Amino acid sequence: MRAMAVIDGTLGSAAAQAGALDAFLRDGLTGAAVDETVVLYRADDGRERLIELSPTRDVRLVKMAASCPDTAAGVIAEMARAGDVSLLLLAGGAGPELATRIACRCGGAVLTDVLHAQAEAGRLVCRRPVYSNHMTGRFELRARPWCVSIDAGWACAGGAGEAGPDTGKPGEGSTGKPGEGSTGKPGEGSTVETGDRSAGGALSAGGHRVLSEADETGRTVDRRFRDVELGPPPETGDLAGSRFVVVAGYGAGSREGVARIAAAATRAGADLAVSRPVVMNAWAPMDRLIGVSGTRTAPDLCIVVGASGAAALHWGIEGAGLIVAVNTDERAPIVANADVAVIDDGVAVIEELAGMIAELRR
Amino acid sequence: MRILVGFKVTPDFESLREADWIAGEGNLADGAGVETRYVPRLLNCFDESALELALRLRDAAAGRSFVEPQLSAVSIGGSQVEPFLTTLLALGYGRAARVDVGADVDFAPAAVASILAACAHDSDGGDVLLLGCRSGPGDGGTVPFRVAETLGWPCLSQVVEIEALSGDDLRVTCLADDCLLRVTVRPPCVLAVGNAVVSRLRVPTLRDRLARRDVLVDVLRAADLGIDIDLLLEREPAGLIGLEAVRRARAGVVVGGETPHEKARHLLDDHLRAVIERL
Repeated sequence: MRAMAVIDGTLGSAAAQAGALDAFLRDGLTGAAVDETVVLYRADDGRERLIELSPTRDVRLVKMAASCPDTAAGVIAEMARAGDVSLLLLAGGAGPELATRIACRCGGAVLTDVLHAQAEAGRLVCRRPVYSNHMTGRFELRARPWCVSIDAGWACAGGAGEAGPDTGKPGEGSTGKPGEGSTGKPGEGSTVETGDRSAGGALSAGGHRVLSEADETGRTVDRRFRDVELGPPPETGDLAGSRFVVVAGYGAGSREGVARIAAAATRAGADLAVSRPVVMNAWAPMDRLIGVSGTRTAPDLCIVVGASGAAALHWGIEGAGLIVAVNTDERAPIVANADVAVIDDGVAVIEELAGMIAELRR
Repeated sequence: MRILVGFKVTPDFESLREADWIAGEGNLADGAGVETRYVPRLLNCFDESALELALRLRDAAAGRSFVEPQLSAVSIGGSQVEPFLTTLLALGYGRAARVDVGADVDFAPAAVASILAACAHDSDGGDVLLLGCRSGPGDGGTVPFRVAETLGWPCLSQVVEIEALSGDDLRVTCLADDCLLRVTVRPPCVLAVGNAVVSRLRVPTLRDRLARRDVLVDVLRAADLGIDIDLLLEREPAGLIGLEAVRRARAGVVVGGETPHEKARHLLDDHLRAVIERL
């Protein structure tokens, strides 16, 4: 069975994708071996670093004109069909789109947010969260190629960092704007086999071997998109990579309550996150949202103030080293799902605690 | 421009007790998932944003002398969907329809995508299909991309803002993996709405409701759309074969003390000091 990992190096999240895939190959996949990684890239200066990011020794490089999931899916779908690939693994925020489009074009099956995958007796069974993380579902993927987009939690497991400068930060002269590619016909790219899989090719400094290099910069990029502008994402204070997070929930009671929790978090040296009801009431901006519909984080310490601990929120913090719940209701789910709980007014407790932490860290 | 919003009405999962999270008996392939029929219904949060964004596009067109877009809404489901559709009619949606397929499609995203694509392709469909980026008990966010692939339309995901330009063009803002992307797109297109700041659907007044009380919700069967639902479900490329409870309980040690100050002190001294010092 032939299996491939895919890293979309045209995105700034390439390092995070690689870290997640590496962790998944170690601990999330059983019964199948993935021994090649397809790396999409769009600028020569990022090429070497992207090769070294590969979670497998063998790498197939594809040079793209632009970051465009539609075009990327076409390239990978052709590779999958031509190479009789049974399993494709993808990661990152763009993973679900790429996996879905490839599956649609190859007549395969797609599953996203995959926690574990097991190949046995010619079938693939995967586990993924369902019912907003209240349960885990087991799914059988019936059509090949099996296109699997792995759960965001694997990025935490992989300890992946941010993208380096050579992967093209937004607004820094990137060449990857959708709609700005050249107009060659699809399928006119050239592929050069650089390594012999059986005989072995030259290894890079990091021990990687480039099996092939394809130039797909001539592919037509979707011209229905125009006037593309790339800007920095909203400031989230690196919530995903934070080591200390304070989560404010609806129990804060008001915008003022959330502001007091935010001030306490700052004083304690923590990043503020909020639950969805807080955002829905416009007590905090959307970019602070944590949970299934927001950011996922795995800090050393997470203090949840005035949130009931809905499964959707818990998804965002379940990788935390220590979870502390502060809640007036001792029957709230968060109390049983935390390591330590304080039953009292959340705002009052976090303000007291912040002062003590500030003193300790001084 | 015709805007069709596809939305899902979901059970309020948070109203289920922990003990209620057990799989139903029977064949999962026949929809025997968790029993949620008695649970209150909600609009899926991303779909709620999509429904309000469509109304704002209509409002903006009126304010700028553009041709007002025609708004339609469609949902797959039984009679429990109707109150939501009636509300949308009161808010000014010209057409509100539900597709009653007579089967559970919670874990059948390919079937859902086929139905939505058929709705968009219908003569009463839309040039812009607005969907939430993910919804429902089993959907993993694949439906918008499947619909786009089926229709051959361009698709933008994680949409957070939409602005109407002249000549039916739309200026769309998306929160991409590592950047904020702004792009102009000419319909037809699929737009998958993500964490938009616009997150609440407005509430119609009693006058709005009375004014549209005679407008009926359309009820479509799968066959009306040329769809054989049994065949679609049989061909679903990935199927749910089991459900497991999630074990997330931790120690839950409750800190003692009388006042917030005392409790904070105990918390820090007994549980947090070592962690804080490592940060």
